[in-house]
Amino acid sequence: MADLEVKDLKCHYNTDTSVVPAVDGISLSLEAGEIVGVIGESGSGKTTLGLSIMRLLDGLASVSGTIVYKGTDITHLPEPEIDRIRWKDIAIVFQNNLDILNPVMTVGKQVVEPLLKHEEIPVREAQARCADLFRTVGLDPVWMDAYPHQLSGGMRQRVLLAMALSCDPKLLILDEVTSALDAFTRKEIRDLLIDLQKKNGYSMILISHDLSFVSSLASRMIVLYAGRVVESGPTVDIINAPRHPYTRGLVHSTPDIFVYKDLWGIPGESASEDGHAGCPFSRRCTQPIEICRTSPPRLQSCGDGREVACHRGGIATLLRADAVHFRYPLPGRKTLHAVNGVDMDVCEGEVLAIVGQTASGKSTLAHILAGILRPESGEVRFMDGAVHSGNNGHRFGGIQIVFQDPFSSTSNRFTVLDAVREPFDINRIGTAAERLDMTREALKLVRLPPTDEFLGKYCGALSGGQRQRVALARAMIMKPRLLIADEITSALDVSTAANVLRLLKGLQNRRGFAMIYISHDLSLTLKIADRIAVMDAGRIIEIGNAHEVMLHPRDDRTKRLIGTRVGHCCHDHKPVGMAGRLQTRVSDCGDE
Amino acid sequence: MPPYLRNAADRFTATVSKFSLEGKIGLCGIALIVMMAVFAPLLSAYPPGKITGGSLEPPGADHPLGTDELGMDIWSQICYGARMSLFIGLAVACIAGLGGGALGILAGYLGGAADQVVMRTVDVLMALPSFPLLVVISAFMGPSVFNVILILVLFSWAKPARIARSQTLSIKNNVYITAARNYGATPFYLLRRHILPEVLPILFVLIISITSYAIMAETGLAFLGLGDPTSKSWGMMLYYATNFRSIYFTPYWQWWLIPPLVALIVLLLCLAFIGRDLEQVLDPRMRQNRGG
Repeated sequence: MADLEVKDLKCHYNTDTSVVPAVDGISLSLEAGEIVGVIGESGSGKTTLGLSIMRLLDGLASVSGTIVYKGTDITHLPEPEIDRIRWKDIAIVFQNNLDILNPVMTVGKQVVEPLLKHEEIPVREAQARCADLFRTVGLDPVWMDAYPHQLSGGMRQRVLLAMALSCDPKLLILDEVTSALDAFTRKEIRDLLIDLQKKNGYSMILISHDLSFVSSLASRMIVLYAGRVVESGPTVDIINAPRHPYTRGLVHSTPDIFVYKDLWGIPGESASEDGHAGCPFSRRCTQPIEICRTSPPRLQSCGDGREVACHRGGIATLLRADAVHFRYPLPGRKTLHAVNGVDMDVCEGEVLAIVGQTASGKSTLAHILAGILRPESGEVRFMDGAVHSGNNGHRFGGIQIVFQDPFSSTSNRFTVLDAVREPFDINRIGTAAERLDMTREALKLVRLPPTDEFLGKYCGALSGGQRQRVALARAMIMKPRLLIADEITSALDVSTAANVLRLLKGLQNRRGFAMIYISHDLSLTLKIADRIAVMDAGRIIEIGNAHEVMLHPRDDRTKRLIGTRVGHCCHDHKPVGMAGRLQTRVSDCGDE
Repeated sequence: MPPYLRNAADRFTATVSKFSLEGKIGLCGIALIVMMAVFAPLLSAYPPGKITGGSLEPPGADHPLGTDELGMDIWSQICYGARMSLFIGLAVACIAGLGGGALGILAGYLGGAADQVVMRTVDVLMALPSFPLLVVISAFMGPSVFNVILILVLFSWAKPARIARSQTLSIKNNVYITAARNYGATPFYLLRRHILPEVLPILFVLIISITSYAIMAETGLAFLGLGDPTSKSWGMMLYYATNFRSIYFTPYWQWWLIPPLVALIVLLLCLAFIGRDLEQVLDPRMRQNRGG
């Protein structure tokens, strides 16, 4: 028997002109003593969910659905009865705002108020309880006589917590309790909540946009988007392998989870009121199909206690390689097994980095995946169709590849215009004017000037970075679903490489295409990769989340690869002149 | 007009503007000789093969350059001879240059057996001493303009084929060809957009040098008496003049031998000037820098 059972809850705010569905059919259940996290961006309906469970929205919004608390349906309980449950059974810790607390009352008085009302105890005892509560939440009782504006944000948050705890509730709803707090206070509050939960066995609903905070407390998580549940399941699974593109976007926007990577938010604005009938996330999604625009997906189970609301069943696999082999003939009847039984897949919208030393077969693999080389055996499938010579390069939404050497990937003799619009010329797409327009668009995308003068420049007259961006524009003009970048920065100097890489990742983030980024430079790939595959002698020896591979490499060769990072930036490094032990230092480098 | 819309005429002017003074003189010279060949009937009063005066008349009012031993007008022979020399030179150069170039591109692009066949033939041809063979074969086949062209073509297509093949091979290895193929480019497209524009300028330089070679070889053959006796090329004129017994003890050489010699030297010089300048302008290494 669940403590709290919410079924098909809908809260619509009625404004003069429109109805805003802040919560649009959410169901959730909470066992006794369980901590459930509710995650979502601003405007996803988290707070409304909390308030409606507390029945604090009566008269402000039209609420439908049922909320059953310990067997009683509290949805339609009359006000006096719900008042008894409120604070005593279900309490809410409000988000820390100055206007939550009454500015002309001391905070002590405000905490005592519900005590007096619900427990019917004398004032003196209530004040003693209040002092206890202050101590519990780590606040000196002398602050009871202070006014809210005299307290810091963290202290106010503690007061709000004390207020919620005052009547010893069974169920706590915590609404963004840490969002305004500094890291130390945040950790203290977290530890405090863990202590309290252990001591008193509260059930908790943690409402927050702070994924790392929620994941440190909650055993289960619910991800909200535009008032709907898009994914739910055990916290660990959701963080490690998000199934919904939105959840993945949130995970990727959280600095604590991907410590090495640059931060990239989910592009676009949260679209709660644009009112089209389809999946609310479809406009920001990396993998929309036709049905996403017409009907909203239902939440469906996908095993292991997880549920996801997506017409495509969660993040879809875009490309899959099965037992791919490739051998180069060598003189003397010998062969070089460049790709040796590689199995891998790439999901929609993700960045997979393939890392390995020179001659580990990375580029060959890239060429096979792009359909330029034919594998000896094994199969590559892209969106349910087999990849063979160039059948994905000539169409929109296919696979595009950008090559390593910028000086040979475009012809010296071509003007920028000729080079970028070449795919159109080959496939006879559009009129000359359309081709010109799309070329300008593509150049803007890669931050090159779309001027007549630049269009007429010969590729031979451009710098390496510019030419690589021209090659990138040529790939982007075909609007690929999968972009394979084969060592595209290795011929560029560090600053240009950094610019090109950020540009590429930015494009990937905005356009939502999947990317395979091939490099020998581990540090560089860590900046952008979601997943890393380590390749050695034609095999993928390790594949996993970028931070996992970096922090806990399993294979010795991966450890060695991580250990190759040298220089001042590397921990533990001592210059030869100082320590005279470069040899040992270098080998120690990656072991911490 | 936006700079990305450059047409062939602009490119031609751009190329010519990079010519040195000699190159420009060469161009003017060639233009004059071509005009002379085209407007030969207007420039000369008499047909070249007709006896229109006394034998071996010195230059005068009737015959600006005098007449030869049969009384034919030398000036009109020079004018019409330009036609023959240019025709043989250009025909050989174009057939050998373009045909050999095409074979070379094909060999380079296809590789494998086709490449082997073409390249081994080229090797054989280049190993043979060409001029002695030229003499033997033309003596064997009998003198006619057609035969002369055929024989010269046979011995001059090897060089363009080799160069076109090596160029094609190096272009084929560029990643942009792989990229274009990945976009679905047909071999025809690759040839038209990528390979020909790179190879043609080089072939063009070769064509000019083959023209010189062909004109010289034709003259040489004619000089040895292996030319077409009915054709009035400059080479044949030289042949007849030098075969005139003890011409150097008479004043006739001054108007009979000198004019075709000078015409030939001028033509070959002009071609050499143009060839040299074109080579410099179209050199791939230099084109890299200016991008075109």
